[in-house]
Amino acid sequence: MSAIRAVPLHRAVLRVIGIAIGATLIWASIDKLHHPDQFADAVHEYDMLPLWLMNAFALAMPGAEVVTGAALVLGVWRRAAGLLSVGLFLAFMVAIAQAQLRGLQIECGCFDVGDMTSSEASWGLFGRDAVYLLASALVWRRG
Amino acid sequence: MTKADPAPSSERAPAVEACPLCVLQVRFPHALRAALLLCWALLVAAVANAANPLGIRWTLSPGGRVGIPRTYEARLPEASAKEARAMFDAGTAIFIDTRDARDYKKDHIPGAVNLPMRDWQRAWSKVSASGELPKEARLLIYCYGRKCGLSTRAGKRLLEEGYRHPIILEYGWTEWNDAGYPTVEHPQGRGR
Repeated sequence: MSAIRAVPLHRAVLRVIGIAIGATLIWASIDKLHHPDQFADAVHEYDMLPLWLMNAFALAMPGAEVVTGAALVLGVWRRAAGLLSVGLFLAFMVAIAQAQLRGLQIECGCFDVGDMTSSEASWGLFGRDAVYLLASALVWRRG
Repeated sequence: MTKADPAPSSERAPAVEACPLCVLQVRFPHALRAALLLCWALLVAAVANAANPLGIRWTLSPGGRVGIPRTYEARLPEASAKEARAMFDAGTAIFIDTRDARDYKKDHIPGAVNLPMRDWQRAWSKVSASGELPKEARLLIYCYGRKCGLSTRAGKRLLEEGYRHPIILEYGWTEWNDAGYPTVEHPQGRGR
């Protein structure tokens, strides 16, 4: 974390990074809020939570995405929202990594959750989320 | 000391220590705000779900299935393998296999139509064009086992397509096969 603090960054750049992450999170939440049943199906496919928790998780996750995203875009409690964003991307990375390590061929459920047409959970998506995680950590520690 | 001077930290500390929220606010201000944002997130999620016709239950009832909208619950019943066997023997249901095509090819319930959920678009256009699934038919849908959600997905999709009687085979292929009921590989069953 001290390395993150040492990164020289202009405040405006941090603001732009926060807006970009926030917009992505809001975009990701829209289809999940519209189709909670299909997002619950996607969560089910990851097979990493007990059955009784899957519906609740599928409902809470897009709520967390939209509130965190809105806070980042509006610049309200930006560092707290950065911290939440770190938690969200960490959760996504754990989910994708365990699916890859177990050889599960499943849809990502990242943006489009209907019709099983969204991109497949892959190491590429894991890498993308790692970039978002680092950017979120910057907003949290430096925002 | 004038009125405007802040109290020395040693004098303020006891008051702060006495209030757990104050301690959190001072030591972990971002964590406390993040927790408050999470509370907002739950509120937003609850309101959005309550207002959504496709909304789901927060908690599963015993034996409930993941991802079934509240409005679909009564329209998507389950059947045990024993009940499914009775329908199979009487010929009163069409069996739908939602597993991947390679697993269907290995073995399946005799007469089952393969509608692999992971390849739904292609499979559905083929099956719907063939007319082998009448809208009034009782459709018994199965996938790998209890934890498999593919049959629930197919059931929802078939309801949306106007089918009236989709039924989910509760424990799927696993229970049917373990019971020794007829399969393509063992047309007479395995005598259990």
